[in-house]
Amino acid sequence: MLACALVGYPLLIAPATSVLTLGVVALALCGLGVLLGMPLVVGGAVVALGEYALALWLAGSPPRLVGAALFGVGVTVLLQTADFGWRARRATLGPGVVASQIRYWALFGAVAGATALVAIGVASAASASVRVPWAPALATVGAALALVAVAFAVRRPER
Amino acid sequence: MTTRLTPLALSITTVGAWGLVLAVFSGRAELVVVVVPVLLALLVTARAPATPDWSIAHAISSARVFEGERVMVTVTVVAGEPVALLELFEPLPSGLRVVSGHNRGLFTLARGQRVEWKYEVECVRRGRVSLGTMHARCWDRAGLHAGETAMCAPWQLRVYPSVLPLRRLPGPRRTQSSVGNYVAPAVGEGIEPGDIRAFVPGDRIRHVNWRASLRFRRLFVTQYHLERNADVILMLDTLAEAGAAPDTTVDASIRAAAALATAYLARKDRVGLIEYCGPFRWVRPDSGRAHHERLLEALLRADVMFSYVTQEVALVPRRVLPPQALVIAISPLLDARFEKAVVDLAARGFDVAVLSPSPIPLVRRARRASTSVDLACRLWTLERTARAEALRRLGIAIVEWDPAEPLQAALVGLTGARRRRAAAR
Repeated sequence: MLACALVGYPLLIAPATSVLTLGVVALALCGLGVLLGMPLVVGGAVVALGEYALALWLAGSPPRLVGAALFGVGVTVLLQTADFGWRARRATLGPGVVASQIRYWALFGAVAGATALVAIGVASAASASVRVPWAPALATVGAALALVAVAFAVRRPER
Repeated sequence: MTTRLTPLALSITTVGAWGLVLAVFSGRAELVVVVVPVLLALLVTARAPATPDWSIAHAISSARVFEGERVMVTVTVVAGEPVALLELFEPLPSGLRVVSGHNRGLFTLARGQRVEWKYEVECVRRGRVSLGTMHARCWDRAGLHAGETAMCAPWQLRVYPSVLPLRRLPGPRRTQSSVGNYVAPAVGEGIEPGDIRAFVPGDRIRHVNWRASLRFRRLFVTQYHLERNADVILMLDTLAEAGAAPDTTVDASIRAAAALATAYLARKDRVGLIEYCGPFRWVRPDSGRAHHERLLEALLRADVMFSYVTQEVALVPRRVLPPQALVIAISPLLDARFEKAVVDLAARGFDVAVLSPSPIPLVRRARRASTSVDLACRLWTLERTARAEALRRLGIAIVEWDPAEPLQAALVGLTGARRRRAAAR
């Protein structure tokens, strides 16, 4: 269901054949991933993100930031649920495992959505007040720095 | 505990990087916003995980079972500290098969919580099973970070060979002096009536045959046949095996030996066991329930063992191989050394019968059907028939047993072969 929602949302933005094709591929990969393995689900998420980017590029409409935040939450939760599904396969589930996971995903979705909205607000305010030259170059450097920062943050020596 | 990032963390990083690349190239702000939850998920893993604190205890429904029986394994997990998601996995040896539940479990534990996890295993092959190494993996809720460790809560299971019910057994040619179930021609103390003779002083009153005494007007007593037992030696061939576990020729031989030992002991015979695996390993003949346990324990450890030693059967002590004993050799006749030992025994005057679990159907079942396998099996059958005939010419009764068929049917054939052999003499 989550995969269908992720694949369907770009079609609402730009109902084009190319978007539909990518959506079908993403959905097929996610479906196969449920049966065969997590790498296919990750591939499906990557294709769905490409589909979303293509839909945005084709539509050329003003930014829909709330939808984007929800899409991001959806992609993350899709990957986490698929991975949990694989871990829970052929295993005895203790009492409250599924309920606590669902609570966690709901909380994570709410926090991530709120964080994204706060980030949108801060970015909108900043972009309205400050006009920075070479904005694309700065965005690229910022993206690279964000990834490096995340990589450093999650890197922890093994014990 | 060894902690590491999971493949999911790498996957999420990849998706995030892909989103940022798309954002830069498309120049759309939405794609940056899409990446924000992804980055947030990764940043959550940067928190130091709590030190795991839990303990595991094992309990099994029975520590001694027979093949085919089931055992319930109960694992109790007690958490000292809250555990977000604990994955436990207990690898099982090939002799055990999970029939209900799973040998892997996922648990969420609160502080001081106690969780019981049960699964049932079927014991498919005899042997001593030592288990108890539990692999534990402690996940964070997002599944991005995991700590691994192995805990030991040892438990041991003894799986004895299944005992097939037998009603008719090959009778021994000679009996021993102890009381048993075989009616001897000689008269004495027993319960099987034999002859009637005139009463003489010293006879017991309870032996007086009152019907005959009244008819002839003088006292007569009933004589009874002696009831004797026999020594039965089961000689097990573990020099070589064929087929796929748990249905190899050695497995079939051991099941047959267990069934024969149980049946002969039930008839008050003394049963001994000689395992020929290059050197000899033996259990002295005896009777009783304790001895039954001894034999099953010996069968539990019987297996094919490579050895450069090849002992002669003459080295087996007389107390282990009594001269009057019936020797039932259980062998798939794969190794010429066992045949030589059997011929040697027969030449020394032992009452020898050979029960040969056929390796051909076992190998045929273990391999995919093909013309070459079929041809090989037919040639093998011819070779086995020739070898069996050679043993028959030496006066040794031999019967082939397909382990898929009931053992009783093969034993009836063995009894018939022995009878014909005795008549020919």
